Amino acid sequence: MRLPRIFGKKRGHRRTGSQAWGSFGDGLFHAVLVMAGLVFGALLVTGVAMREWRVNRDYVPTVCRVIGQGLIRREVQDPPGSASATWTPSFRVRYEALGGIRESWTRADAAATTADRPAAIAALAAWPLGAEVSGWFDPADPDTVVLHRGFNWWMWGLTLLLPGALLAFGGSGLLRAVRRWGRSEEAIAAAGTLPVLTSSQFKSATGLPGIPACDDMTNSPGTVLRYRLPLESPESWTLLGLGLFAVAWNTVLAVLAVGAGLDFATGRLHWFLLAMLVPAGAVGCAAILLFTRALLLKTAVGTTQLEISDHPLRPGGRYDVLLAQGGSGDLRELTVTLECEEQATFHQGTDTRSESLVVHREQLRGWRDIRVSPGTRFEGIAGVTIPAVAMHSFLSEHNAVRWRIRVHGIPARWPPFTRMFPIIVHPAAEKSP
Amino acid sequence: MSLSPDGGRGSPVIDVQFDRPGRRYDAAAPLVVHSRVGGVDPESVRALELSVVWYTEGKGEEDLAVHAFERIVDRDALLAALAGHDFETRLPASPLTYEGVIVKIRWCVRVRVFYAAGRDYVSEQEFVMGRVPPAAPLAVREAPC
Repeated sequence: MRLPRIFGKKRGHRRTGSQAWGSFGDGLFHAVLVMAGLVFGALLVTGVAMREWRVNRDYVPTVCRVIGQGLIRREVQDPPGSASATWTPSFRVRYEALGGIRESWTRADAAATTADRPAAIAALAAWPLGAEVSGWFDPADPDTVVLHRGFNWWMWGLTLLLPGALLAFGGSGLLRAVRRWGRSEEAIAAAGTLPVLTSSQFKSATGLPGIPACDDMTNSPGTVLRYRLPLESPESWTLLGLGLFAVAWNTVLAVLAVGAGLDFATGRLHWFLLAMLVPAGAVGCAAILLFTRALLLKTAVGTTQLEISDHPLRPGGRYDVLLAQGGSGDLRELTVTLECEEQATFHQGTDTRSESLVVHREQLRGWRDIRVSPGTRFEGIAGVTIPAVAMHSFLSEHNAVRWRIRVHGIPARWPPFTRMFPIIVHPAAEKSP
Repeated sequence: MSLSPDGGRGSPVIDVQFDRPGRRYDAAAPLVVHSRVGGVDPESVRALELSVVWYTEGKGEEDLAVHAFERIVDRDALLAALAGHDFETRLPASPLTYEGVIVKIRWCVRVRVFYAAGRDYVSEQEFVMGRVPPAAPLAVREAPC
């Protein structure tokens, strides 16, 4: 018997892995998850849930007389080095079980445990000495008696959550690996079980596989030309990232600062926490400053709009583009450029990286020394011709060929800005011989 | 006619003949291939698969899609198909064959022979769809996701 090869055929910059070994590894990984879920679930069910199940199913009812009261004291160290105590009301009861009279300590309700000692003492009053209450004893161990029954559904949910997730994730992966085992990648893809192939990226509504839809690029009419193109500005993502970081960082900082303040008010001083708050506060202030600066730069230049005479575009076609630049102030230069960029996403170790490469760039038109005022925006027309043998737009799970119109401006008093307007290029209509 | 690249001892010899010279096709054109599998004991073959596939190649992870697929397992049909089989489909309008710098798109016909012992052998024959010329690099930009 020959084992499958570790590596398959070499393609491009890399060597493809063996499909058989890949499926085996995938199946093994998910089988381990299933086993972990089963073992973990069994431990939790037998250790936590089974007792509650037996109390409700097997314990025998009896009548208990309260003959003693007390508090169970438990010391906990949270945080380490600072001790605190919890108190649980407990009762000594006398009851009849299996033909004899027995006495035992028990708790009224597990949820009655509290860190407030006076509250725990007050809870004892609900079960006065000499009172007769309902109880249930364990027929396998008559000295064990409880005064409360019922299911704690929260506990059951939490008990089953982790093993359930492991079983669901591992089971689905194992099923997928079993279904793929021994089948070719073409058969899997043809059956539609390969996840990447069920992606809408591969199935275009226009009947053009691998070409992204352009519905959201033709639903906004222009003021002069037919369509207004949506903006895809890299500066917007930078701004969003800075804003999210500033909010998240300062929220965590505020929570820690409030906690430190409350501790200080109660006389406890955590020097380590205070020492950490100082540099963290500096980072928070810097994040707010950077976000404010980026927001100011973005809004100071004014909006850029691009309209086009038709969409989607085709190789060999000529189209008009209208550039409209709002805001106020002087622009030293404003250019409109047609670009085509290849984009590839790949794994490098545990990282997912993306590489882009511009393979076509053509300046359509440029203007110099423009003055923009709040009342009147600058408008300029440029012509764009897609090369007759150009590649069409393409989008798959990890690869893309993207066309776009790039507007680059150099304001007199602000840093340069770049705004991207994606466009979709369809293949040229070809005739079969 | 094309032969499998490593059709030596123990490997079948797979002939795939395309109906267009130079294996060049326009988008949405009909594609007809004739395949023949030789150099193998027909009794040792349990299935034969023929597919028309496009896949990406280059810097990124491979993406693959099957345009047409046929699996032959019936014993009589399988013996006939090993001796010679015509496979016909109409190509889609996209994606076109593309020789980019970091993204390439290839079209191919794959013939996969499954042996009764469990292993399989695949022959891949490329063809070109469309007339897009190779791309050239202008600038590089790399950034983490």
